[in-house]
Amino acid sequence: MIRRPLLSLLTALAFLIMLGPVVILLGVAFTAGSTLTFPPEGLSLRWFAAALDYQPFISSLGTSLVVAALSTVLALALGVPATLALQRGLIPGRGVVENLFATPIIVPELVLGLALFQQLMVGLQITALATLVIGHTVLLLPYAVRVVGASLALSDPRLEEAARGLGAGPLRTFFQVTLPVMRPGIISAAILAFITSLNNVPLSLLLTGPGVSTLPVEMLNYVQSSYDPVVAAVSVLLLAASVAVALVTERLVGFNKVFGR
Amino acid sequence: MTPVVQLESVSRAFGRSRDAVAAVSDLDLAVPRGKFTTLLGPSGCGKTTTLRMIAGFVQPTSGRILLEGADATKTPPEKRNIGMVFQSYALFPHMTIIDNVAFGLRARGLAKTEVTARAGEALELVGLSALAGRKPGALSGGQQQRVALARAVAIRPSVLLLDEPLSNLDARLRVQMRAELRRVQRETGLTAILVTHDQDEALELSDHMVILNKGRLEQEGAPRDVFPRPASRFVADFLGYENFPVLPGHGPVAIRPEHVRLLSSGEPEDAGVTLEATVTNVTYQGSHCVVEVNANGLGDGTRLLCAHPGEAPRPGEAVRVLLPAAHLVTLGEDAEAAR
Ligand SMILES: Nc1ncnc2c1ncn2[C@@H]1O[C@H](COP(=O)(O)OP(=O)(O)OP(=O)(O)O)[C@@H](O)[C@H]1O
Ligand SMILES: [Mg+2]
Repeated sequence: MIRRPLLSLLTALAFLIMLGPVVILLGVAFTAGSTLTFPPEGLSLRWFAAALDYQPFISSLGTSLVVAALSTVLALALGVPATLALQRGLIPGRGVVENLFATPIIVPELVLGLALFQQLMVGLQITALATLVIGHTVLLLPYAVRVVGASLALSDPRLEEAARGLGAGPLRTFFQVTLPVMRPGIISAAILAFITSLNNVPLSLLLTGPGVSTLPVEMLNYVQSSYDPVVAAVSVLLLAASVAVALVTERLVGFNKVFGR
Repeated sequence: MTPVVQLESVSRAFGRSRDAVAAVSDLDLAVPRGKFTTLLGPSGCGKTTTLRMIAGFVQPTSGRILLEGADATKTPPEKRNIGMVFQSYALFPHMTIIDNVAFGLRARGLAKTEVTARAGEALELVGLSALAGRKPGALSGGQQQRVALARAVAIRPSVLLLDEPLSNLDARLRVQMRAELRRVQRETGLTAILVTHDQDEALELSDHMVILNKGRLEQEGAPRDVFPRPASRFVADFLGYENFPVLPGHGPVAIRPEHVRLLSSGEPEDAGVTLEATVTNVTYQGSHCVVEVNANGLGDGTRLLCAHPGEAPRPGEAVRVLLPAAHLVTLGEDAEAAR
């Protein structure tokens, strides 16, 4: 580090850019004052109390968690078999199908949201909550396919053959070999999908209806009308929850296993 | 005795019917019981495809595969009772060594005590009992290879299939593992089929060797019969014969460099063909020199290689070369050209 001053400087800069906003956010959230200013004017937990008292945040958090959990499960339920078929089965035009799964990443979310709003909520009169779940599932599917696919691609394609050769039928092979081999990939895909859904604004913005809203959308609404540190406090809580999820995962499976080798 | 594995004019093509590539063509094979058979041939000649058809991972396009005398062409792999060792080992990374070895026994629904006993026995056979509790990731390549072997042997397969199992090991370990493979096969009395493109490996290991060329059977037999009497130029070339002169009165023949002799002046001629030649190049090889000569009598300069143990002549020198009759192999046509 010492012998490479430029590199150390760049590393420090990168950390500053990454962590700077977090430090400011923390400062603002714990302030005793009543404006979004940094450095904070004294320390207090009053804005956390205010945030937990604000009913729209609490109910929208519930919606957010339900939507994130359901869409993650759905995206995996669709994505894992799709990945298996893509990677291990003989699918004609594999490349085309694989790219199709990436289209939700390419199509702007607002366009996707508008289309779903038109077709599902207006056209078929489906409830806002169901539409949110469907929309987020579409959004998360590419992540599921990509991440699970990456972990599957790293494993030896002969493993299943080895199991079959040793006398295991297709079911036994799937549950005792394929699934355990994919497990780290599935877990990391689930985390990524859950957090992506939890933080999503553009898609949710179009799909929230009367009385049904997600936390990020509610936070956006709040900032538009008031200018106090409550939003910072909520952000810190969200951040803490994400870090907690990451730490628990690290404990359970280990990041090295989840993210590649 | 019925052969353990029989192939009856088995063919396999890959790709769409119009531009299909034949990986294996019209192959007939009978694998003798309790013997070590090797499938030998250059890259892409269809060795792996043949092995995978025997295992049931690839379906033949036409022909029949018989296991223990019964038609098994359509039998799924898990019902064939074959033990396969893959080039990449394909050990289950999330299971311990002993669980890997026990996998096939559990899949057969054996009682717990028997699973434990037989898995332990198989692991002992390859000398790895001490590592039973480890995961495959914590083993060296050679150890993983042994585990893969133990896992395949534990199920007491009717045939053991090995696809270039030694090719990922370094040269010294490879020679060591060859002996190990041979010992395990002898001790278990299993029928084994090994795929390789290494002629030394095939010569050392096999009771019966099968040489393939472009998906067709070129020659088969015991190494002692095949090595000194290759039937075609292809086999001779593959087995390290390097001289293919066309001799007047003999037609095309093959002879190994170590059998070509440079005659010193006045030395009586043995039975064979003597040629006047000019030395063109000499390469020092330690125990001998490789002397390259141009045989003057044979058309416009047939090039011959001669492994010469004595003092080497100089380029440009005139020499007399003896091709001993005992080592001249008369060649037939290559199987492919004959069709
Ligand atoms: N799944 C496949 N799809 C298309 N072509 C294939 C497939 N498997 C094998 N082939 C082709 O069939 C031919 C024989 O392949 P095979 O793997 O049996 O050769 P091999 O003798 O094992 O070669 P190597 O020594 O390189 O392993 C090759 O031309 C190969 O390209
Ligand atoms: Mg091969």
